[in-house]
Amino acid sequence: MSTSTTGAKRLGSSSGNPLIRAEGIWKIFGKNADRVIGTADAELSRAELRTKTGCVAAVRNVSFEVWPGEVFVVMGLSGSGKSTLVRTLIRLIEPTAGRVEIDGHDVTQASRDELLQLRRHTSSMVFQHFGLLAHRSVIDNVAFGLEVQGKSKAERLARAGEVLKLVGLEDAANQFPNELSGGMQQRVGLARAFAVDPKVMLYDEPFSALDPLIRRDMQDEVIRLQHETGKTMVFITHDLPEALRLGDRIAIMRDGRVVQLGTPEDLVGSPADDYVSNFVRDIPRSHVLTLRWIMREPAAGEADGPTLDVSTTVRNAVPVIAASERPVCAVENGRVVGVVDKEAVLMAIAGEGD
Amino acid sequence: MAVAGAAAQSLPSSLPAPWWRGRPGAAVLVVAGMLLSYFGWKHHWAWPAALEWNSFSPHLDRFQAWLSNNRNLPHPNIAFRIFNGFANFLDDLVSWLTRLFYYLKWSGTTALGTLVVLRFGGRKAALGTLAAFASFATLGLWDNSVQTFALMFAAVGMSLAVGMPLGVLAGRSATFNRAITPILDAMQIVPAFAYLMPVVILFSVGPGAAVVTTMIYAVPPAIRITALGIRGVAPNTVEAATALGATRWQVLSKVQLPLARRMLLLSVNQTILFALSMVVIAGLIGGTGLGDAVTNGLYTDPAFAIFAGAAIVIMAIALDRATEAMANRTDPAQRHLTAHKAHVLRAYTAACALVVVAAVVLGHVFGAGTVWSRWTAQDWLRTYVQRALDYIQNPGTFLFRNLTNPTGNFLVQHGIQPLRTFFIETPWPATFAGLVLIAFLLSGLRRAAIAAAMLFIVGLVGEWANAMDTFSQVLVATVLTVIVGLAIGVWAAESRTVSRVVRPVNDVLQTLPQLVYIIPFIYLMPVSGVPGVVASVLYASPVMIRLVQRGIEDVSPESVEAATSFGATRAQVLLKVKIPLARDAIMLGVNQAIIMVLAVVVIGGLVGSGALGYEVAQGLQRNAFGQGVIASIAILALGIALDRVTQGRGAAGARSES
Ligand SMILES: Nc1ncnc2c1ncn2[C@@H]1O[C@H](COP(=O)(O)OP(=O)(O)OP(=O)(O)O)[C@@H](O)[C@H]1O
Ligand SMILES: [Mg+2]
Repeated sequence: MSTSTTGAKRLGSSSGNPLIRAEGIWKIFGKNADRVIGTADAELSRAELRTKTGCVAAVRNVSFEVWPGEVFVVMGLSGSGKSTLVRTLIRLIEPTAGRVEIDGHDVTQASRDELLQLRRHTSSMVFQHFGLLAHRSVIDNVAFGLEVQGKSKAERLARAGEVLKLVGLEDAANQFPNELSGGMQQRVGLARAFAVDPKVMLYDEPFSALDPLIRRDMQDEVIRLQHETGKTMVFITHDLPEALRLGDRIAIMRDGRVVQLGTPEDLVGSPADDYVSNFVRDIPRSHVLTLRWIMREPAAGEADGPTLDVSTTVRNAVPVIAASERPVCAVENGRVVGVVDKEAVLMAIAGEGD
Repeated sequence: MAVAGAAAQSLPSSLPAPWWRGRPGAAVLVVAGMLLSYFGWKHHWAWPAALEWNSFSPHLDRFQAWLSNNRNLPHPNIAFRIFNGFANFLDDLVSWLTRLFYYLKWSGTTALGTLVVLRFGGRKAALGTLAAFASFATLGLWDNSVQTFALMFAAVGMSLAVGMPLGVLAGRSATFNRAITPILDAMQIVPAFAYLMPVVILFSVGPGAAVVTTMIYAVPPAIRITALGIRGVAPNTVEAATALGATRWQVLSKVQLPLARRMLLLSVNQTILFALSMVVIAGLIGGTGLGDAVTNGLYTDPAFAIFAGAAIVIMAIALDRATEAMANRTDPAQRHLTAHKAHVLRAYTAACALVVVAAVVLGHVFGAGTVWSRWTAQDWLRTYVQRALDYIQNPGTFLFRNLTNPTGNFLVQHGIQPLRTFFIETPWPATFAGLVLIAFLLSGLRRAAIAAAMLFIVGLVGEWANAMDTFSQVLVATVLTVIVGLAIGVWAAESRTVSRVVRPVNDVLQTLPQLVYIIPFIYLMPVSGVPGVVASVLYASPVMIRLVQRGIEDVSPESVEAATSFGATRAQVLLKVKIPLARDAIMLGVNQAIIMVLAVVVIGGLVGSGALGYEVAQGLQRNAFGQGVIASIAILALGIALDRVTQGRGAAGARSES
């Protein structure tokens, strides 16, 4: 639970370039979809647009950036356009408008060949319903991406074996997908995506079809893999706890638009609207908010209490703060950036539930 | 009664509006009108010569002459050369395969067939194959069987070579699928007998023509099933492969085709069965082998024809079982191929190949015949079959006196004959208008218009009387089919035991070639038209039974429960709820049955049914091309008309079900 935001170090990393840059992405399904954008119709609500033109605006003017090593979560209710959005990133669905750049390459303008290269080497994707090939054994499924790239059989089997070990499935290598449990199948899906050693991993609700216990296991798995390999991830989910657990930053979608984009703390601490606050209402704030969120400027002479990293969650800070007579100092990079006293903690916890 | 009525009314909207209210009344009126004009103006209005295109037949004959002249020039032009090349290629393909089997000797052929099935299909299927070979030998039909096998192999290979790519295309492109569907529909309506003539004109009599005829028949299902298989591949697997950077070709070859494997193999299996059911007809236009033996034997040596028919049935069943077994046994997800197992299997394959080679070599060393001819039980069997035939045809026997003869006569006197007189002698405008009106009542304006156009074409080519004759036979057979189908279908739906008995019988009946059905009845009921009618009932009933049974079983349990809760008896539930709700399935059954009936009734023209089928048979046997083609056109038009009339309102999309 408190494994959250392993990526705090990466957060402000505006150094370098974003790995993914999405600008003004639109996806409208239906005839004459491209005529809608830029007109007043584009501002209509989804239902109105559908009655008026028969088109469905699945994604509307979405922009974001994902930094190297970051876990970027897209969250929203069913039908809010998450799957469509993530598919436009590698043009499994052609965006109606907008621009996508991945690793410095303009995806939207890419030729077929460039697109294939991007899909083969730069990105890979994990799907809600796994999308495994029933006619291939587990190891051949995992090796599929390498096979598509034209790697030799020996090479791809060696690599697939390695990756299977990584996800703990080395014993199932010769089984077939239909003989595995859902959780194991998704491990195969993960392994398949990992096998090509992509820079970006895209996950489309990978664990929604699994039951809660397995889901936790799989989340741990993703966190562990992320630790070990430092991959950049775009993670789609409709499950807020999952989003908070995994995400460095979270975009909340509704009816095709992003209504808020921020760190878990931003969402929980200051939801942008009722939709978001409804979402986060049941989340214990102390589990998400960090000291950064509740600290205040140190008054003179206060900066000598016990220290805690500024990214410690309130919940984890409670024992230290409770045991200390003096306000606790929040430190970032060895420098005291603020202090937290008992009152602030109590306020943060008391704020829960409203 | 009142309670049940209330029950029926209380059923929610799932009960369809009573479509027959009003319309049956109108239909009865139409029929009454036709009867009235029959009695009033009998014989007075035959189809007028002024509306006949008399010069059509000579035109066709001249076209045929022109075609064959140009084709057989020493230096035909490029179009003809390409065409000749194709025709010759088909001929060569068949003869090459035949020679291959001859070269292998009977020992090698048997070993090859059995061991291929053994390696891929398992022991049981291999035993079946071996038994099939043994029975060909026993029947003394080895040579015919090998020739049929060669013909069929060529036809199946060509059908798949054409059908599978098109099916893949149709599976991947909705546009192409939409474009090709009506063509496939049309191809499946046309009775095989109707395209014999055109094929003979184009390809002249020979194995090539036989292959083409078979292809016309077998390609549509190959396309359909393949497309269904490709479309059935889960979209998310395709998407996953695309996301990993697979090209379109990689997606097809590594994902779609392997995942559609079961359906692709089913399409092979079905193509084989369709092809086999054509070999008899192909025998009429130069396909040598068993089909030939049947069609010739019909007139000269009935026992021999029966043997050949039996051999075809045995071949069909053996091939069906063998391909099914191979499809199941080679499923990678079932097989669990480890490196070790793969190694063992490779050794197994090598051993099988070795045995085949050994069988061939030994065959050559010991001078085995190209065909098995050493010992057969043909003569021995023949005495028995002949005795049975004599018994059947002996007017003094109980069977003849009390069963077959009265049945046959009854059908003729109270079914075929009066109907034929009625349709032929009623003034044509009354018949024409009456049929079109009924089409309108059953199936709506558009389909009635098509039916009218088709009936007009029938008259235009000068086949009105013959077509009405054929139509009356079709009508009798269809009514019988519907009665049989409803009775057995309902019974099978209501009783598990009956269902269990009916199903394997249906399976076998559906694998038999059309002409094979006719053979026994030529001898059992040798009255004009009856063999064709009875055989067509047998041929079409399985489909009708199946559709009726499925329709009744698919009635939602809630409707039945609701009716039962109002105290309806089982019979009331059946009559007032289940059968009305199964109406669409039943209507679909009638639609399919009438097309199947037509296909067999026209084949009956070979054995005394007269009418359109006879014209085609004459065309084939006497080289009267114009006459044959005209009758073919009339059959085609009649087929389309019957199909449209029985499609019902809004049942257009239901065809793909079968
Ligand atoms: N191919 C399509 N044609 C037409 N409309 C589509 C298509 N695909 C998606 N939509 C519509 O676009 C909207 C967004 O769909 P999308 O699948 O992106 O939602 P989602 O957020 O992923 O939902 P879920 O959580 O159920 O997966 C939905 O209203 C859907 O009906
Ligand atoms: Mg989705």
